[in-house]
Amino acid sequence: MGITIYTVLYIPAKERSEWNNPFFWINYPKNAAPAWVNYFLMPFQQQLPEHEIYSKNEAIVSSYSETDFKVDNHTFSYEFVYAQFPSGFSIPFSLEFGEIPPAVEITVKRPDGLEFVIYYNSLDSVPSVQNDIGSQLSNASNQQHELSQRVFSSSKEVIDSLIEYADLFNFSISDLPAEKIIFSETDSNIPLRGTYKFIFTTYSFDNDTILKELNLIIEGKVFGLLGTDEFRRDITFGIMIGTPVALLIGVAVASTATTIGLFYGLIAGYKGGKTGTLMVIIIDIFLSIPTMVLFIILSLNFGSSLLFLIGLFVLFGWPGLALINRTFSVQIKNYPYVEASKLMGESDFKVVLRHIIPQLVPFTLANFALAVPAAILAEAALSFLGFGDPSFPTWGQMLQDAHFSSAEILGYWWWILAPGLMISITSMAFILIGRSLEYRAKLSKKQ
Amino acid sequence: MVDNIRIQVTNSLSDSISENQRLNQLQDSQERQSIIEKQISIQTKSLGLDEPWYSPKKISNSLLQIATLNLGNSRFFTTNDGSSSVNELIIEKLPNTILLFTTSSITVIVIGIILGSYLAKREGKISDKLVAGLASASLSVPPWWFSMIMIVLFSYLLQIFPARSTPLISPGAPGYFGDLLYHMTLPFITMVIIGFASSVYYTKYIVLRVIEEDYIKTLGIIGLPSRKILFKHALKNAGPQLMTMLGIGLTATLGGSILIEEIFDWPGMGNLFYNAVIQNDSPLIIGLVYFFTLLYLLTRLVLDLTLSFLDPRIRTGDE
Repeated sequence: MGITIYTVLYIPAKERSEWNNPFFWINYPKNAAPAWVNYFLMPFQQQLPEHEIYSKNEAIVSSYSETDFKVDNHTFSYEFVYAQFPSGFSIPFSLEFGEIPPAVEITVKRPDGLEFVIYYNSLDSVPSVQNDIGSQLSNASNQQHELSQRVFSSSKEVIDSLIEYADLFNFSISDLPAEKIIFSETDSNIPLRGTYKFIFTTYSFDNDTILKELNLIIEGKVFGLLGTDEFRRDITFGIMIGTPVALLIGVAVASTATTIGLFYGLIAGYKGGKTGTLMVIIIDIFLSIPTMVLFIILSLNFGSSLLFLIGLFVLFGWPGLALINRTFSVQIKNYPYVEASKLMGESDFKVVLRHIIPQLVPFTLANFALAVPAAILAEAALSFLGFGDPSFPTWGQMLQDAHFSSAEILGYWWWILAPGLMISITSMAFILIGRSLEYRAKLSKKQ
Repeated sequence: MVDNIRIQVTNSLSDSISENQRLNQLQDSQERQSIIEKQISIQTKSLGLDEPWYSPKKISNSLLQIATLNLGNSRFFTTNDGSSSVNELIIEKLPNTILLFTTSSITVIVIGIILGSYLAKREGKISDKLVAGLASASLSVPPWWFSMIMIVLFSYLLQIFPARSTPLISPGAPGYFGDLLYHMTLPFITMVIIGFASSVYYTKYIVLRVIEEDYIKTLGIIGLPSRKILFKHALKNAGPQLMTMLGIGLTATLGGSILIEEIFDWPGMGNLFYNAVIQNDSPLIIGLVYFFTLLYLLTRLVLDLTLSFLDPRIRTGDE
């Protein structure tokens, strides 16, 4: 409940739509485990690299002028103390420049003194370079150009420039990704610990070059409370925006279904006779349909909006509740005080309202609490099969993504564990509430 | 369907083009096209395909076909022998489903009866609360999610069982059955773990209610050994309710099996149905739904008949 209130209050609806937007998540690591995994690995000295984002302000700036050009150095120092390679890095930057485009160079200074130039680009050739995601050149006013680019560790330029240092290593680096070369010992392919310096250099030939933004993102293998998934999405965020949706579905379905079930069962039980039998037959027809199969077919043919799903669950949720209520109302109808009040000439409506419904309320509340988890589980199962509402990310959909990325075979347990655990805990809470309400209702009936 | 006819007509015309004199005389391609269209419309009309789907002729036709188990051919799926008939597809997948789900439900029930009646004798211990807790837990944990966790545990971390349950050896080859059983182990274990807690819980509940009846207490006073009372008298009287439990369990697995088979990639009917839905293979979907419903109703019928056989009190008819 706490999570729901927090989510509804603090996360605007706009961010919900960002869940399926890859650009929103581009600064997040890929397939990172939860950060607390490191506490378990600490005794074995096996910590996984953490995700680190350095902004422009954290860089040490040094600049000097040569005769015809100016050099700006932005130096990030990165302390690397982990037992495994990071899963990559990316350096997004955006520059504003005038007539003459500057040149950009990225150098890595390793703890053992080696220095790699991993990227060099004189930006006049930039418009033709299109293999970097997010490369765009826009024409601003008074001949100022602006360029935003992102250097990935998997970019072709980075790998090509690293090949030139192949003879420094005692093993073949030709098939390794860039981060496994940069952070590796020279003797064998294990991580080299120490302080790395990433130096971002611009060579500008006039005074118009301004570095507007610069980040260094080291993609770790652990991130946040619950890690991230294949699409770099933060699972904690997904869990949080999934909570209100799940509760909405559960409560909406349960309240509607119990209300319909209560009145339908009441009428069927109280009227009795032919009407009652007919109504029971209708219930039986509904109960004898294999629901899961029908859910799949209906949501396949009639779209998958959230409202439709709720309607579907209500349609097949009420008959069971109606049957229970009918049994009770038949019992209560035959109690002497009900018959007495009938003899006194009270109308049917009044008898039902004043004598039968109050008796049924505790049971209805218990049924309500027990119907919530049923709806939540059904929704999760349907979204797991891919028939959920894509505009509302739910826990079932997260599990579906995990299944389709074969997370269970690749061992991304954090992606599977958290959503399922949330489903279980939520349903468990409602089941326990329902059980205790049922127990109390039975006790009060005995007295 | 209309597309199929179009292909058929075009093919038969191009086959007969050398023989049919009248067709040969037509040089203009437009004239040929008009003849083809005419043929198509004649065939559609004779098959009743031009009428809307709700026309009595069409509905009664298709209902009759389905009722006589003439389910047609699947669009995309074939059996291992290459036949695309829906009936043969179902017949091929049915034994797998029965092998996995019936054995696991029966195992669950047997474990439930043994453990449940054992626990019924010693009420109020910690084991009682444990079973009750496990039973509510297994109700609230989605079985398909639990299967994913099991795959992570056994296929990724421990690497004992394969993650995909479709056997690698093709059916018919020697060793196929052993391979099938090996691939079946993980889903089987998963389903037993999911099911056994609630099964034990309900058996215990049922047996306890029977044990509290007067005639069982009398037997105890007479001096019969408590084990004999439990197995001979109490379980016999709890029989109908246990049967109901079994029947409900069996019918419930039919629906749930779609998800579990899909996760484990078990070559059963649930997986077939899921793939048919994804590919929009309507003849197969219709056939499978009909078959599911038939199976479901059949189970309930058998259940009702067995119940009335076991418990004569039900047979009297009046409510």
